[in-house]
Amino acid sequence: MNAPVRVALGDPLINPTATREALIRFENVSKRFAARRGQAEVRALEGIDLAIPKGAIVGVIGRSGAGKSTLIRLVNGLERPSGGAVVVDGVDVAALSEKGLRGVRGAIGMIFQHFNLLSSRTVFDNVGLPLEIAGASRDDIRRAVEPLLELVGLSEKRDRYPAELSGGQKQRVGIARALATNPKVLLCDEATSALDPETTSSILQLLKRVNAELGVTILLITHEMPVIKEICDRVAVLEGGRVVEEGDVFDVLTRPRHPTTASFLSSVTGIDLPADVTAALRPEAVAGGQAVVRVTFTGENATTPVISRLTTTLGIDFNILAGRIERIAGRPFGSLVVSLPGEEPGLSAALAALSQLGLGAEVLGHVA
Amino acid sequence: MSPEIIRLVWLATLDTLSMVAVAALIGTAIGLPLGVFLATSRKGELFAAPAVNGVLGLVVNATRSTPFIILVVAIIPFTRLIAGSSIGTAAAIVPLTVAATPFIARIVEGAIREVDQGLVEAARAMGASPLQIVRKVLIPEALPGVVLGLTLAVVSLIGYSAMVGAVGGGGLGDLGIRYGYQRFMPEVMATVVVVLIVLVQAVQSLGDILARRLNKRLRQS
Repeated sequence: MNAPVRVALGDPLINPTATREALIRFENVSKRFAARRGQAEVRALEGIDLAIPKGAIVGVIGRSGAGKSTLIRLVNGLERPSGGAVVVDGVDVAALSEKGLRGVRGAIGMIFQHFNLLSSRTVFDNVGLPLEIAGASRDDIRRAVEPLLELVGLSEKRDRYPAELSGGQKQRVGIARALATNPKVLLCDEATSALDPETTSSILQLLKRVNAELGVTILLITHEMPVIKEICDRVAVLEGGRVVEEGDVFDVLTRPRHPTTASFLSSVTGIDLPADVTAALRPEAVAGGQAVVRVTFTGENATTPVISRLTTTLGIDFNILAGRIERIAGRPFGSLVVSLPGEEPGLSAALAALSQLGLGAEVLGHVA
Repeated sequence: MSPEIIRLVWLATLDTLSMVAVAALIGTAIGLPLGVFLATSRKGELFAAPAVNGVLGLVVNATRSTPFIILVVAIIPFTRLIAGSSIGTAAAIVPLTVAATPFIARIVEGAIREVDQGLVEAARAMGASPLQIVRKVLIPEALPGVVLGLTLAVVSLIGYSAMVGAVGGGGLGDLGIRYGYQRFMPEVMATVVVVLIVLVQAVQSLGDILARRLNKRLRQS
């Protein structure tokens, strides 16, 4: 597999995607669903401003009901905004007629949580369907479909029916089908939510490859932070129909500013404390006790021997309770839970020293 | 049983088969598009036309709720208009078709509505027009259900065709009434019943086999 061509990722201050030209732009987009008997009007989206850079993989994360399904469907006109513009490759799709939309949709592929393959068609005929709809000849269809089946690794399943495939294979067919018309954009609607973790990972790797090798811009929606962490360049956090946080994946994941983001992150960058520590944790300081502090390392910090430096300069003894180092968007990110003497002013001095070293420090609680 | 009776049963069977076949063919030709339209003209669907849908639904229900024997009598003027007469095998095809069409339409409507809306959404996302969605997605996906429904319709038609015998329609029902009942020939009645059972059985088996062939959903590798 070819490595994705990316700007050097060493310096966390340089944002490689933000400066790129936007392929999709949401401009003050809102979407309301009309009131129904006994129900008030639903405001699905409000004041959405979002740019999807060309060639990027952008993730939108949110809980169910946050509006992410509506958001992604605005891009290919399956949903129409109540206000604002959705500009895809220079065209405001919100202003197009249903007929005009059909022309644009060839440039926008889409894959779905439940795959949405036709059970009556073989793998080959499913992948060829968008071309058939576009009026391509049989020969053209064959010429386009065969390499796509190869790309997704399903050449030998070409004459099988979807019912004979596993979930991961079905999604591979979905991806091949979405790519059949050679689109610029691939929309992924919870594409891995129905798959087990291993299959999810292989599908994400395939998407990454599609992005890198074919230059297809990917917009995906998910409720799973690991998906964002594994393949996205940028992330937007959606809650209650609004974007509450948006930015470079590494920045957002390592320094979340919104509580919703933080709650999504607990499963990804959090650490499981030993059960006895969690049980003993108290919010108030305990006389003569210890403070439990979560220290986070980002970028190059993740590899500096900070703890030993702290011990030597401040003379504080840290007790390491738990920790892990992982890679987010290709950059190392570490978090460590330590306990140290919880009495002031020693604790404040230690926290100040930590932040001076460029580390995140968060007091989780106190133990006796 | 005399060779004469056997010949009569044979001819009546042919009459029944031709009545049922023609009625089923015309009924499908009209009922299939009608059923597709009923399924897709509801509010928010591909060809949304709720008012037309409501009126058509009413007509279909009215036809379906009229007992067949009453329908046969009620539409005699229409039958004369179409077939030139209200008696005989050709004339019997008219009420059979009138009864079969709404039945088939409802069956097709049901099968189409069973198709996963996600497939329609996927096709729309590919840029398919409403007609393409019907031709390439809805009908192929609904086909196994449609075939089973058509089988049911043909079985019902065989039963109805025996009923038109009562009003001079010809076919197996007519034979059973005239010979078996009015001339006290129980062996004719028994033969008619056996032939009808065999016909229904054959149609049902054929339909089942065809539907199973068409259904790719249940196959396991």
